[in-house]
Parts: sequence; structure tokens; C-alpha cells
Amino acid sequence: MRLALKYPGAALGIAFLAIVLLASFVAPLILPLDPLAQDFTATLDPPTAAHWFGTDELGRDILARVIAGARTSLTTAAGAVAIAGIVGVPIGLIAGFFGGWRDAVLMRLVDVLLALPGILFAMALIAVIGRSQMAALVAVGITGIPGFARITRAQVLALRRLDFVLAVEAMGGSASYAMFRTVLPNAWSPILVQVVILTSVAILLEAALAFLGVGIPPPAPSWGDMLRTGKAYLYEAPTYAVLPGIVLTLTILSLDTIGRTLGRVLEDRQGAHVVAALDEPA
Amino acid sequence: MIGFVLRRLAQLLPVLLLASLGIWAMVYAVPGSPVGALVGENATPEQIQATIIRLGLDRPMLLQYWSWLHHALAGDFGLSIQNREPVLDLILQRIPATIQLGLSASVVGLVLGVPVALASALKPRGWLDRMLSGWSALALGVPTFWLGILLILLFAVRLHWLPSVSAYVPVLQDPLGALRNTVLPALTLGVYVSGIFARFLRAALLGELRADYVRTARSKGLRERDVIGRHVLRNALLPFVTIVGLMTASFIGGAVVTEAVFTYPGLGRLLIQAIDARDYPLIQGCIMFVLLIYIGINVLVDVLYAYIDPRIDYG
Repeated sequence: MRLALKYPGAALGIAFLAIVLLASFVAPLILPLDPLAQDFTATLDPPTAAHWFGTDELGRDILARVIAGARTSLTTAAGAVAIAGIVGVPIGLIAGFFGGWRDAVLMRLVDVLLALPGILFAMALIAVIGRSQMAALVAVGITGIPGFARITRAQVLALRRLDFVLAVEAMGGSASYAMFRTVLPNAWSPILVQVVILTSVAILLEAALAFLGVGIPPPAPSWGDMLRTGKAYLYEAPTYAVLPGIVLTLTILSLDTIGRTLGRVLEDRQGAHVVAALDEPA
Repeated sequence: MIGFVLRRLAQLLPVLLLASLGIWAMVYAVPGSPVGALVGENATPEQIQATIIRLGLDRPMLLQYWSWLHHALAGDFGLSIQNREPVLDLILQRIPATIQLGLSASVVGLVLGVPVALASALKPRGWLDRMLSGWSALALGVPTFWLGILLILLFAVRLHWLPSVSAYVPVLQDPLGALRNTVLPALTLGVYVSGIFARFLRAALLGELRADYVRTARSKGLRERDVIGRHVLRNALLPFVTIVGLMTASFIGGAVVTEAVFTYPGLGRLLIQAIDARDYPLIQGCIMFVLLIYIGINVLVDVLYAYIDPRIDYG
């Protein structure tokens, strides 16, 4: 409770995310919400008692679609962050730990990913492998690799020359032991913060792809796709594009706030420059 | 000086080569090969064979890549599949629109972002800083496409002040028309850009404020306004300039989405149309073009940086 008062932004963020998670994973079990049920007698209705967010062009309940879209969005983002972390963290670890040619080669590869806007890269990749949830997940995941690689590398570089790491090596500990058992456990806090913040970026990117028409293919509900369709009915049903956008925006802002607050808390505790590292141009 | 530029280019060369290899290889990863897309579904085996030879697809892979890169660097990205026009011409037609959008969004970004950064860096962790760092979180977190929709709803649907679809009107030909058509997209992209600017300029300012010369300037009784204006801001702009270069990529990404919201006829729309039509030479051309712009801007920024900061040795 005291923590909630000290960090009101993050507390609100956690509360909002809890509602979204509860609604998306628990509500469908108890409430008769069908995101695909069409009703052509009630198309593009404004919000009513029966349909809190109104209905879309096929008479489907927008709230039900927002809730189902949350599941798509969150699972895609989680998968993307997992890919980015599983690939990015070892890259940063190896580059920072060994330095030399390994560092040069790995970081040059990361530079290549940075040279293209993430969204362009994802669009190009999806153009090649076709539209699917997996394609969106992989494309968004790859764009997150540089973030993890750079933050891990910076952290490892700082830890590399500290006495306890040198001691492990002097005592004959193998490089992999020193890397995974000694350096990595001490480098986790900025990585954790990166996980939270990247989740918000991944949700944003996935929604942007769907908005551009290259995300998860319909009829599966997705927030970005709802905004894309809603934009076509701005005159007939202005709330159609507004309400799903509010949920999307609040989700992104919640995760970002939680991540940054977490960074600040860890910074105060450990004296490490967690947030500063995140604000490095990535 | 020329040596310095060449060295920077040499450092970016691996990035260019690897990325271009990826862009080129894209076509080969497509199910059904580019030939299928070119000749259509009902082509005879002879037609397919003729196309393969015409495109040089029977040659060794590495040779194909080299000849593609060679042509691409000279500005020859091949012909668009849709209407057989040179890809470069299609791209060049869209460039003025994107530049106009980009410049006006930068102005919006600077006007909104620099004061925010200044105000929050001068009293770090104060209430104003907290509120204003909320601004950059908001500016970067609110999806560009949703902000655009909200602006259209307010200014086009409700108030009827501005068009809901933005055409490209060159500012020199018709300044008022250009303003009407550019203001909403520029505001949408500019808010996002201001978030980037504010966050990085604040970090740069904080770094400078800790420096010894600031204490010296203050202790000799210089007014705070002069300390900031004459010393800190000038030095903080240096790292800021490099960041602007590095942020080119996310800037262009934001422009793609913004152009989609307002159906603005820029480079981003061209790319989306190309993807919809599976026009691979055009997709490759657009992405390669963005890559070259990114590398160009980064070299330019480095040179500018060396020019502004006499401490950097570029001999």
C-alpha cells in the first residue's frame, strides 16, 4: 500500500492491466460474449446498455472484440518479447564478455537491424512469409533483439572488470560459468525493465501492423485492425475507432509506466543506471 | 576531412552490405519465386524460361546479388511489377511529399519538445519534471494512428475545418492549401517526434549540468539564464545532433503510419501499396532507399558533429 502511494502511476498501471487480463482471460468463461457473432439488425450502433462499446459494421459487439483482441495482443507481445530476449540477451552477453572480433561481428549484425525502422522491417518480413499471428509475433520479436543485446552488453561491460568476475576466472572457472553464473545474475535488473517496456512497444508495433493491414488476418479480433476498420466509419460511428483506441493506449502507457517505475526503484536500490541505460538511443 | 567521411562510410559499409543482402534475399524467400509473380499463373513453360533468362536468374546467386546491388546503388531498382515503371521514378515522385511532412513534423517536434526538455532538466525529479516526463511517455505511447484518428474526428468530422484526407500540396505553390493539408499529419507525427526529442535532450542537458564548467559559470555569478543559454544548451546540442541521426529510423517508421492514417501520398503509402500488390521490386526499392537515407543521414550527422566540435579529430 505504501508502495502504491509512493508510485501512483505504476499502481494505476498495474490496476488497469489486471482488469484487462481478468477481462480477456476470465470474462469469456462466465459472460456470453462472442466476438464473432454477427447481428445485421444492429450494425454500427452507438454504445447502448446491451452493447457498451456499440457494434461494428457486421453488428458484432465491439466490447467483446476488444476483450478478445486483448488476448491476441498480449499473447503476441509476450511471444515477441520472449524471442527478442532469448536471442538478444545471449548476443549482448557474448559480445560484452569476450569483446574483440565476436563483439564487432555481433554488434554489426545488431546495427543492421537498427538501420531499418522496426515497422518497415516487420512489414517486409510479413510481405515475404505471409500474414499470420506467428508472422506478426516473429517480426515484432526480431525488431526487439537490438534493445536486449545493447542493454545486456552495456551491463556486462560494466561488470566484466569487477573483482568478483576476475576472481572466478582466476580460480579457473570456465568462460561459460563466469558468463551465465557470475555476470548474468548480476545484470538482470535492466533486462527485466527492458522486458516490461518492450512488451508495451511490441503491443504498439503489433497494433500498427494490423492498422496497416499486414497484422493478424481477420476475422480474428485485433485492436489495430479494429482501428483500421473504425477509421472507415468515422462519420457513421465515431466511437467505433475511439473506444478500442483508449484501451490500446492505456495498456501501452500502463506497461511503460510500470517499466520506468521499476527501473527507478531498482536504480535507487542498486545505484545502477537502469533508466539511463534505457534512454540510450536504441 | 574527406578521409574522415570515407572512414565513416567504411564503417557503415558492412551494415549496408548485410542489410542489402537481406533485402535482396527477400525475393528468394517468397513461396513461388518472383518469376511466378511476374509471369502470372497461366504462363507457359517457355514464358517462364524466357523470364528466368531475362532476369538473369540462371546465373550464380552471388553474381545475381552483385549485379542487383550494383544497379541499386546507381539508383536502378528495376521495374515495378504493377505498371512496368522504373521503381526509382515511383519513389522520387513521392519524396517531396514525405520531405514536406517530415520537415513540418520536425518543426512541431522541436517547438513542443525543446521547452519540455529544458523545463524538466532544470529541476530534475521535481513536480514539473515528473509531469513533463509524463509528456514524453504520452507522446511516445499514444499510438500515432489513434492520435491521427482523434484529430480527424475533431477537426474534420466535428468542426469541418480541415480535410479528413490529406493531399500533397507543395508549400511553394499554394502555402494556404499546403497548410490545410499538412497540419494534421504534421501534428500527429510531430507529437511523437517531440517525445523523442524531449527524452533525449533532457538526458543530454542533465549530463551537461553536472559538468565542472557549469559550477564555474555559476560561481562567478553568471545569471542562470546565461549559464543555460550560453553554455549548457550549446554543449547539450552536440550529443543531441547524433541522436537525431540515430533516430532517423523511428522517424521514418512514424511517417509510414502517419501517411496511412491520412492517406497522404508519401513514400510510406507507396510501400504499403507495394506490399498489398506483392510488387517485390518496388518493396525492395523502397526499403533499400530508406536504408540509403539512414546511412546518408548518419554520415552527414557525424561530419556535422566533427565540424561543430573542434575536439574531434577528423584528420
